[in-house]
Amino acid sequence: MTIQTYWQLDVAAQPGRSEPSARPQAGTIFRDVRTRVINRYDYYARIAQAAAQTAFDGLFLPYRPEADDSAIVAATIAREVPRLTLIPEFPGSVASAVYAAKQAVSFQRATHDRLGWAIAPAADAEALDRTEEFLTVAHGVHGTRPFSFSGAYFEVQGGGFEAPLNRVPFPRVFLQGESEEALALSARAADVHLFGAAPVAHLRSLVEGLDGLAAGRGRSIAFGVIQPVLVREDRDEALHEAARTGVPAATIVGDYDAVAARLAELAGIGIGHFVLGAPASLEEAYRVGQHLLPRFRALTGRVRAAA
Amino acid sequence: MTIDFYWRLPTHGCHDSLRHSAYDRGDWSRPGPYNIAPGLDRDGADDGFRYIDHLAEIARAAESAGFIGGLIPSFPNTDDPWVISPLLARETSSFRFMIAFQPGFLDPIHAARMSASLQRATGGRTVFNIITGGGGPSQLWWGDGFSHDDRYGRTTEFLDVFRGVWKGGDFSYDGRFYSVAGEGLPPLLAAEELPEIWFSGSSDAALQSAAKHADYYLSWLEPFDQLTEKFARVKERTAALGGEQKCAVRVDLVARATEEEAWRDIRIGFENVPDERRAQLRGPTDSVGAARQQALRPSEARRYDELIVAPNLWGGFNLLRGGPALGIVGSYEQCAARLNDLIARGTDAFILAGTPHLEEAYRIGEEVLPLLGHENAALLHAAE
Repeated sequence: MTIQTYWQLDVAAQPGRSEPSARPQAGTIFRDVRTRVINRYDYYARIAQAAAQTAFDGLFLPYRPEADDSAIVAATIAREVPRLTLIPEFPGSVASAVYAAKQAVSFQRATHDRLGWAIAPAADAEALDRTEEFLTVAHGVHGTRPFSFSGAYFEVQGGGFEAPLNRVPFPRVFLQGESEEALALSARAADVHLFGAAPVAHLRSLVEGLDGLAAGRGRSIAFGVIQPVLVREDRDEALHEAARTGVPAATIVGDYDAVAARLAELAGIGIGHFVLGAPASLEEAYRVGQHLLPRFRALTGRVRAAA
Repeated sequence: MTIDFYWRLPTHGCHDSLRHSAYDRGDWSRPGPYNIAPGLDRDGADDGFRYIDHLAEIARAAESAGFIGGLIPSFPNTDDPWVISPLLARETSSFRFMIAFQPGFLDPIHAARMSASLQRATGGRTVFNIITGGGGPSQLWWGDGFSHDDRYGRTTEFLDVFRGVWKGGDFSYDGRFYSVAGEGLPPLLAAEELPEIWFSGSSDAALQSAAKHADYYLSWLEPFDQLTEKFARVKERTAALGGEQKCAVRVDLVARATEEEAWRDIRIGFENVPDERRAQLRGPTDSVGAARQQALRPSEARRYDELIVAPNLWGGFNLLRGGPALGIVGSYEQCAARLNDLIARGTDAFILAGTPHLEEAYRIGEEVLPLLGHENAALLHAAE
């Protein structure tokens, strides 16, 4: 299994950066010639380029109701980064299953199959039920013609995509959640289950449990983690920066070698998809991509060679 | 007074000429040596281009040629306008993305978030063409089981909610189709302008919904007197509700240096129409607009000129490509004169198209649009 690393493009982070309305309005000494079309989307494109140029495999765009829509942002930057996989996160309730599948297929067609679908964690059991039906219908219209379905949330008759829409693969489906019901759904319907960052022993038991559930249904799924990191050239600098900025409790903080070793440990328990993120998304993408990823790849390459 | 002219992005492939039915731009026909986007490289392998690369060229051609934007149609076997628009947002500068969509397919609050995000990405270049009709078997293909009139009720409520949450703050709504408790766009998104809303639909239910929410009422081209009467009715009905309705026409042109050249393309195209295409057009629909056009019965015609319904008006375009039947055929001057007529009859904006969409965007932009507003008599004299 090739390890996949994604950078997190958080549209809500650093909300003032490249935001025209946040520019100084008066009293500046520099002549400001920026027009309205130089805006936040340029910044998103810069983050995407940073991830592309530092050899990430893709971008993960978390769903943020207070900011830009992750799917719109993903499409807006897609053609500027011709190799990256783009994984916008969205709630399963935002569109009809047929329409969401159709949009996914258009995205796949235009980008050489670079879309991933991350369904935001469901709020309750009903939302999980709906998500399952949503995925069943979306897969159904993509892969079957004619497709008919009658469920609690969706009804389709004589559906299914024709050529050329049916020629592209369905996007890889990333699901989340650690409740019993969420894990059971992933065993049935996820391609990749994304865990929240946690101590390695805890993640190991989650991975083993879900792997068993999926195997019980004759399926094999992949595992990932959404892992905040804070790396610096030396450990003290990293700790100092973490104390100054305040980072989520599960952040891995340290120098390049130490953090690479921690990630390699996660790879060792079967985690293959790494969504890495840090608050200053652009600067940290370069730092992580240039210094951490090569060390991490060297370590996991050695693990694989030994196996 | 100025008039907004939109072009069209063909989302179902394009062909290099109306004379042939094969869609050789895009991958809707079987890929072969004469296809592009995707095409074959010199070794016969996939050249890596995708249809979006061709759409990008059409959008850029249209904005260079003077069009304000383009309609992006949505049907079961097209690429999707909500995806195409952001994909092309950063490669265009003034081109407005007119997104065709059926409101029932998206949650209205989410649609508002997507729209405001796209407004931010494009500097306010999002326009909507709200579609409610169609129906019959194709609605169930989409997973939509609502009846014709219910769909218009739902469209009205969808737009009530869409506008309501756009103001930000706490919007609540209790309707037949949607109920919302204290929702609103976040300030960052609510600061954007609401997209202009274009509406179509010929039934009474459609006109009622349009009167409440549409900036433009959009019609396919119909015989001019019929269209004049329809626009007058729409404007009157909206005025009775205290509003003002602008009207727009969507029409294909075959404009050539001479009228003979234009009709020659039509004649050859007509003679090449495959029998199965004629058979397809005889299928049922519950769209009132489509039924109004089918009354012309282009599928039964034996000669192309049986379908000339008025000077420069040809009623067989749907034989040559998907979409409406009636279009304008003539010299540059004649086409300009017909568009002038439509403006005089109350048309406030246009969506034009021609095949191939890329080259014809330049042609119409350079040869026809500059003639508009000149006296018809002088134009037609020049055409002779």
